[in-house]
Amino acid sequence: MNPVSDRDQILVRLMSAAALRARVLSENVANQNVPGYKRRVVSFEDELRARVAAGRDVAGLEPRIEADLKSPSSPDGNNVSLELETNGLRENWVAYEIYAAMLQSRNNVLQTAITGGQ
Amino acid sequence: MDPLTNLFSGLRTSSSAMSAERTRIDVIAKNLAYAQVTHMPDGSGPYRRQVVRFSTVMKRAAPGTKPEPEGVKVDRIEPDQVTPLERVYSPGHPDADAQGMVTYPNVNPTSEMADLITAVRAYESNANAADGFVKMAERALRLAQ
Repeated sequence: MNPVSDRDQILVRLMSAAALRARVLSENVANQNVPGYKRRVVSFEDELRARVAAGRDVAGLEPRIEADLKSPSSPDGNNVSLELETNGLRENWVAYEIYAAMLQSRNNVLQTAITGGQ
Repeated sequence: MDPLTNLFSGLRTSSSAMSAERTRIDVIAKNLAYAQVTHMPDGSGPYRRQVVRFSTVMKRAAPGTKPEPEGVKVDRIEPDQVTPLERVYSPGHPDADAQGMVTYPNVNPTSEMADLITAVRAYESNANAADGFVKMAERALRLAQ
């Protein structure tokens, strides 16, 4: 049995995607006063969920950065919404904590197996 | 890009925006301080309010890849030539013209204060985002314990 399971791999990739999303949403926050800037979002989890549900391979799946052209722009052409960005960041931090906690509990189990509970 | 690079470059993005917003706060403070200056020392007449223009800093991660936004910088600080200067009748003023009119700067304290609130909010939201990156990096570090 390979101790590093597929589930751990998925958790690590979810954490990476969350780190990328934190960066992209913070870029939106940073650019809130730049005329013409269009906010960007990261998509990953929905596609991952769909692939896992369909029993398809998830190895080649990478998070994607997409421009959000649907949100309404202010007169200077900027469509950053501070509410969307900060709430997205908050949600993202919580998700990151959850993935980290799950990964850690796996590590604790492995640790117990290695040391025999000593 | 690996997660740590994302966390650190995110932190840099937030700090670049914080320093840009700080510049804007400084310029607003200057506009408010100069609101009554009818006579600039260089002889150019009344003070004109200054406006800060931001732009996105783009960086190419590797040759052949698309440039990625990497932060924000102050592109230009330029005088506001659109808002008209204010004319006030005040014949006793040393800068009054033949008709007794004095030209005052085009600084409107109300709109400067509104801009100041926007800039301070932006500064805070970026500080918050920067804080998040530190928390995420710390959490990743705790995994090893």
